[in-house]
Amino acid sequence: MSTTLKKLVGEIAPPGAEWCGLRRVRLSARAVQAKDGRFDLAYDYVDEGCMVEVLHRGQFGYAAVASLDSGALARAALKALELARVGSARPVHAFDRSVRPATVANWETKRAPGRLPGADELCAFAIDATRAMRASEKIVRSDFLFELRDEETEFVSTGGAELVQRKHIVGYNATAVAREGTLTQRRTLNGPRGRTLQGGVELLDFPAMKAEAVGAAEQAVELLSAPECPSDTRDVVLAPDQMMLQIHESVGHPLELDRILGDERNFAGSSFVKLEDIGTLRYGSDLMNVSFDPGVDGEPASYAADDIGNPARKELLIEKGILVRALGSLESQARSGKPGVANQRAQGWFRAPIDRMANLNLEPGASSLDEIIGSVEKGVWMEANRSWSIDDYRNKFQFGCEYGRLIENGKLGATVRNPNYRGVSSSFWRSLFKVGDASTFRVYGTPNCGKGEPNQLITVGHASPVCAFKDVEVFGGEA
Amino acid sequence: MSAKKDMEARFGRACDALFGALKGGEALAVEFEGEDSTFLRFNRGKVRQLGSVERADLTLRFYANGRTLGSGTGLTGDADSDAKACAALLARLRGLAAGLPEDPFQVLPAATGSSREEFSGRMPDGARLVEEVLEPGDAIGRAGADFVGLHAQGPVCRGAAASSGARHWFATEIFAADWSAYLPNGKAVKSCYAGREWDGAEWRRRLAAELPRLEALNRPERILPPGEYRVWLAPDAVDAFVPFFSRMGLSERAYREGSSAWTALRDGRKKLSPKFSLAQDFSLGAEPRFNESGELAPERLPLVEGGAFANAIVSSRSEKQYGAVSNAAPEWEGVRSPSVASGDFDDAKVLESIGTGLYVSNLHYLNWSDFDSARVTGMTRFACVWVEDGKIVAPIKDLRFDESLYRLWGDKLEAVGSRRAFVAETGSYVIRNLGGSLVPGMLIDGMTFTL
Repeated sequence: MSTTLKKLVGEIAPPGAEWCGLRRVRLSARAVQAKDGRFDLAYDYVDEGCMVEVLHRGQFGYAAVASLDSGALARAALKALELARVGSARPVHAFDRSVRPATVANWETKRAPGRLPGADELCAFAIDATRAMRASEKIVRSDFLFELRDEETEFVSTGGAELVQRKHIVGYNATAVAREGTLTQRRTLNGPRGRTLQGGVELLDFPAMKAEAVGAAEQAVELLSAPECPSDTRDVVLAPDQMMLQIHESVGHPLELDRILGDERNFAGSSFVKLEDIGTLRYGSDLMNVSFDPGVDGEPASYAADDIGNPARKELLIEKGILVRALGSLESQARSGKPGVANQRAQGWFRAPIDRMANLNLEPGASSLDEIIGSVEKGVWMEANRSWSIDDYRNKFQFGCEYGRLIENGKLGATVRNPNYRGVSSSFWRSLFKVGDASTFRVYGTPNCGKGEPNQLITVGHASPVCAFKDVEVFGGEA
Repeated sequence: MSAKKDMEARFGRACDALFGALKGGEALAVEFEGEDSTFLRFNRGKVRQLGSVERADLTLRFYANGRTLGSGTGLTGDADSDAKACAALLARLRGLAAGLPEDPFQVLPAATGSSREEFSGRMPDGARLVEEVLEPGDAIGRAGADFVGLHAQGPVCRGAAASSGARHWFATEIFAADWSAYLPNGKAVKSCYAGREWDGAEWRRRLAAELPRLEALNRPERILPPGEYRVWLAPDAVDAFVPFFSRMGLSERAYREGSSAWTALRDGRKKLSPKFSLAQDFSLGAEPRFNESGELAPERLPLVEGGAFANAIVSSRSEKQYGAVSNAAPEWEGVRSPSVASGDFDDAKVLESIGTGLYVSNLHYLNWSDFDSARVTGMTRFACVWVEDGKIVAPIKDLRFDESLYRLWGDKLEAVGSRRAFVAETGSYVIRNLGGSLVPGMLIDGMTFTL
């Protein structure tokens, strides 16, 4: 903990403030990308600033500046107080200090010792990998991207909070685009930016990564001669890299309490879930167990406490198919009277924290992959998301994947291209009939979940086993 | 000093410090984005969150010995500390760039022009935001609806400069009251009052103008089966499709890399309706013409004319790599200030012309669903109603569409409205966006709904 920051918050807290908090965030990010066997881009940037938050007559006001200067922060505190005063004339809820706990913690991503490769080494690998991906002349584009981020957050308050968290994010992906005639197919490693994880050098196994990138390019070419996914109703078996999206859109967002309370209706939307559903709604089949789990090593949204200092711990949101808890922060819990989790998170120093997913996972079940495939008479295996759309209540969805294979009489069969499916969240999860065991469980994440007014992007994690769903509408493309 | 002057001073000092410290063989392009914004987020007509954000971001592109490296940092406004930060950043870039491979398509900045545009505005008094913005919304509450949304206001600034001599500045003071009114049945109207001159009377007038639409939405919902329906897409709904000319769109790079969904249009294998034309048109005045390297785009660039491909969006990097002629696009090669041509359809006859079908006010969460056929899926949202014999009958339960844009704007495009609406860009990921699009409504004879 920076003693400077702790001392500073006491100095800048303006008279009239019932509580004052200071959140400093420093983001250091770097990326390199190669394309088609050549250097394509590199960047290295730092973003740092502070948000001062003041509580006055039940209303929080905030002011954010890109400065650590005590004078600038004192002026920001006065501004935040004035805005809190303005807002206190008509607050949606009168908050008190209980929604800003006095948590003291110091936390950092678990990672293997050793330095990450430098930009020169990453570039050299990416150039080599993208050259190897172009083994077929049908590959019209191959790229490999590394994105590395270090996020340091300090949160101090006049209430006694002293929180330091250091997250280290490693992301990488390969994309191969194949073309023949008027057909185009694309393969990535587990969908766009799905390999966004917390950790260090242990996540970068160059020989394995190169083999996977080459494999993705081979599958892109394979898809060019594959038939379209059939259009009918059949079972679907979703790989964990598509389950990630399915969980995110049709479980995560509808369970955000601020959506249920209506805050997001003008932008991201509301939810088909009502407050009174919490504790009673049958969300899915008995096999469905969904957890909020900020403690999974490597999962990108692991942390000790959220951005208002609420200590984070694992909670089951859906237990044997029944909704028992929503994704609501202390503020949303105070407004709704419903149980929640530690999920009030902000994109950076320049945004106020709101209800967010963090790590939202489907717990493993009891079926091996062979048992799942063997239980399907007529179905499609789908992996790696490439298209996603869902209504503003998070009910009617349509998702598309990069790669599919038919399942016939309990066996994986021919590859199909453009596999898509559509359904309705509230009935789809009730058709869940097989959940893979721990051997099928994989951890993924994405850095670009958008929500909030003003808008915010945030990193979320999703882990899931392979899952099978009964009688789903599937279809292919038009080419 | 006003916030705009302060931002311009920060930009100027940073440019002077950075360009003055360059060594022989080095070049630099500097982009600036700044804001001093107040955000009032509201729900149920009451304050949910209220705060301010001041930020001034530099994005740099550094060139040395055939290497190219992007970077960025924030400016605090303190001259001394910002000067030190710029010097430290430059030293860091030199060290990092030396370890990179050569950039095979490096384009050194060459722009030399300069420009300066500044627009003042009149914003609601910050101390009276509740009275000015929220209290007029009580009319929505009296109509039995929830008033929810975001009011953002304050100066937004952009700058670009290059070591080749270019120096451009654009600053404007703008507001956007982006709001919805939700009835207990979940039906809603959405609107946005945006501009430079806040007028409380106009705000109240606009709120009142939406009340009749709420009445229609209070009727029992009509659940329609999937199928093809005759549809009027209001300008806000048409605007939802406009990003699909940017995202895997008309970019030269996307075309060359097999990542454009408009390849068939570009190759002449497919055409849109002769009624459809799209241009990039900076005469809208909503955003600057310069890109991150200080290059100035033409004021108007036709992209689709009479249903046929006209021009791609081409950056200098794509010019070097592919031999296409640059039109001073930013490196991401998206469409800026899009303008869809108006038609000759009398917008006053919308309901009559629908006959029996759908009036679609807004669409939601669109995405490509089949790349090669330019098929897009998405949802209806907000005030979408079923029309019979030219009269509004009922709000609909939201429907999912899945439709190729070659069909939607091809043989199914029956008419294009003669009145266009300016749809302000209200996005604010990281920083408040500038710009907007000018779009008409469109009458579609048979849009495919699937769920």
